[in-house]
Amino acid sequence: MARMGMVFDLKRCIGCNACVVACKQENSLPEGVFFTRTLSEEYGVYPNVKRVYIPTLCNHCEDAPCEKVCPSGATFTREDGIVMVDGEQCIGCSACAVACPYDQRTQVTQESLTKGLYGTGELTPFEEDGYKRFSPGTMIKCDFCSERVDADLDPACVVTCPTDARIFGDLDDPNSKTSRLIRDRNGRPPLADKNTKPKVYYID
Amino acid sequence: MSSNQTIFSGDSFQLGYRFQSYWDFHMATAFFFGELGAGLFLVSLYYGFVPGMVAGLLCTGVGKPYYHMSHMGVPMKSWRAILRPDRSWISRGLISIVIFVPCGALVVLDSWFGWSGGGMLGKLVQIVAVAASLLVMTYQGFAMSHSSAIAIWNSGLMPIASLVYSLTSGAAVTLALGLIFGGIDPLALSKVVMMFVGVTLLVQLGLLHAAYHGTAGSRQSLELLLRGQFAKQFLSLVFGAGVVVPLLVLWLGGASILGGLLAAVGVLAGFYAFRLLIFRAGVYEPLMSFAARLGLS
Repeated sequence: MARMGMVFDLKRCIGCNACVVACKQENSLPEGVFFTRTLSEEYGVYPNVKRVYIPTLCNHCEDAPCEKVCPSGATFTREDGIVMVDGEQCIGCSACAVACPYDQRTQVTQESLTKGLYGTGELTPFEEDGYKRFSPGTMIKCDFCSERVDADLDPACVVTCPTDARIFGDLDDPNSKTSRLIRDRNGRPPLADKNTKPKVYYID
Repeated sequence: MSSNQTIFSGDSFQLGYRFQSYWDFHMATAFFFGELGAGLFLVSLYYGFVPGMVAGLLCTGVGKPYYHMSHMGVPMKSWRAILRPDRSWISRGLISIVIFVPCGALVVLDSWFGWSGGGMLGKLVQIVAVAASLLVMTYQGFAMSHSSAIAIWNSGLMPIASLVYSLTSGAAVTLALGLIFGGIDPLALSKVVMMFVGVTLLVQLGLLHAAYHGTAGSRQSLELLLRGQFAKQFLSLVFGAGVVVPLLVLWLGGASILGGLLAAVGVLAGFYAFRLLIFRAGVYEPLMSFAARLGLS
């Protein structure tokens, strides 16, 4: 069975945040909720100031601490390694949120699902349709666009990236682009000392 | 400007420390009631002080669930929290509470009505209640120390802090209630409270020391508690009210009602402040810094 993962090429990321927008659109995320963010790190002294962009999302860890602490069993790992949350079983205790070293969990509130785009309480047709997937009070996170993956498509953020800074593929296939990049360009997982065995790697 | 400058990025798209905000007032209060209740029951049981046992059961059986349910995103499904004792400290804790409260109630009923007639069944129920109370006193600390995400929580001293605070607050409240209702030796118990407060201080210092020698995240949390935005509350309540006040009033006031009440209030204030501020000072560490690797710092 495949073991799906992602590689971020930091030399290519330009911080446009198109991936963030694509993700919000694909997953119908309410205001303030992000499954992926492109963080920036700035340093240097004027006029020699530089900035690096660091995309982030759920790392779908092999040793996922969120899955271990979940008291209701709502968090589980699919056969292909994608870590999912079953909204029907989630009780919204936030134990997963304080267990995730990458702070990639969000609780979707009733307010965020009813406020609407204009804050008037009226939902747009897009919101009405999209918000059906969420149960208020439950914890949500990136699922690598699992429905797209099931249809042999790449996640929305990967498809949208204009510089191909996001690469998605099977980490168990030594010939996949992800595996080759990790091997050839010394891919490193984030916060490796936390021992969560993330399936997202960074190359530079 | 170095890229190592501490940045609290909040919800912005900047690399930096982010505050933990999921476990806050409601969880801190639930934790407080759970540990206080179990400690109060255990200490009162030791001294044969039934009002304390009842108060302890009410704290754990009513106060704790109320605040847990207030925190839950889907409170009507809270029962599902019991489903994963193989992996989750929350499940183990809930099971221990479900065992502790009824068994504790049976112990109280036995002391009132003598239903066991002094037989083995009564003793067995008491043993089970004690064992469950010990688990209630410590499971929250284990749940916190299990989290590698929040570095200051990720300490082997966290369950010990839970146990010690539980016993200290339980002893202090038993003393206060005992001075009001009678039925205990206040002088002896006040010395026990002073000893527990001393142990609490040692554990607090141990936790802070471990945080200092831990990761950047734990040092950042320590900075917040001792010199940053939580310093005033932490130092005045956790150490001042929670340690200095009870030691002083019990040493000077001996076994007076006023001294006992002041000591109990101080211990409880310090305990609650510790719970809440340890939650609020928890930070997620920055994902990584690439500045040095790219030769850009």
